[in-house]
Amino acid sequence: MHFSTPIFYLVSALVIIPAVLMVAMRNLIYSAIAMIACFIGVAAVFVTLNAELLAASQLLIYVGAISILILFAIMLTRRRSGAICLFFHRQSWAALPAGAALAVVLGIVLGSARFSAGSAPKNPSTANLASLLFNQYAFPFELASLVLLVAIVGAVLLAMRERRS
Amino acid sequence: MTPLQHYLVLSGALFSVGAWGVLARRSIIMVVMCLELMFNAVNIALVAFSNYANAGAGRGEVFVFFVLAIAAAEVAVGLAIGIAMYRLREKLDVDELDEMRG
Repeated sequence: MHFSTPIFYLVSALVIIPAVLMVAMRNLIYSAIAMIACFIGVAAVFVTLNAELLAASQLLIYVGAISILILFAIMLTRRRSGAICLFFHRQSWAALPAGAALAVVLGIVLGSARFSAGSAPKNPSTANLASLLFNQYAFPFELASLVLLVAIVGAVLLAMRERRS
Repeated sequence: MTPLQHYLVLSGALFSVGAWGVLARRSIIMVVMCLELMFNAVNIALVAFSNYANAGAGRGEVFVFFVLAIAAAEVAVGLAIGIAMYRLREKLDVDELDEMRG
């Protein structure tokens, strides 16, 4: 067993345990905090995969921006009496077996799959990523900013709509 | 070195947890959060393939950048829909959204 394998299992636990806690916990605020822990775990997974730039982006975008956005949405939709505690609905008993079945199928298929990819990582560098992003994929990169702009305008339009009485 | 399959199984497990949450929870905000978990699972698989691929190394990471941008847009619009729904009917329950049921 190589030295990196125990680290992989540790990092996997950092991802999976907060994810399960997030779905299982009743309070939305606690779920959001578990989600932040899970995102930090995913950033750690990226570090073990030699994707340092993506790990930094994960921390900035998911932990920094998206989590705060979700926390704001939770705060904005509170009732006067306190946080809305919606939990499981009528079909929820079927959701856990469905999710478990999906996990078993994905685990068997992905665990036994053999790819033409080598077993040793090639360590693509950040410089390689930057030259790909700003040469070959420059146009999609600029297009992504347009998508974000449209999404911002749409979100403002949706959330600012006055209630018609 | 950790085999590629380990990362793929981790990705599949995280995706399943996200799918469980989307199916089980009632709050529209919680559904959006669980969708983010599924995005993250796909990102792990993409980065793992990018790291282990023989040819075209790094292209998976470029793809993950675009996934991040689209995920940010999706979260903004999804949460805005949630807030608009709350303004309209003081509820966040996805079971209540049944006007278009046939």
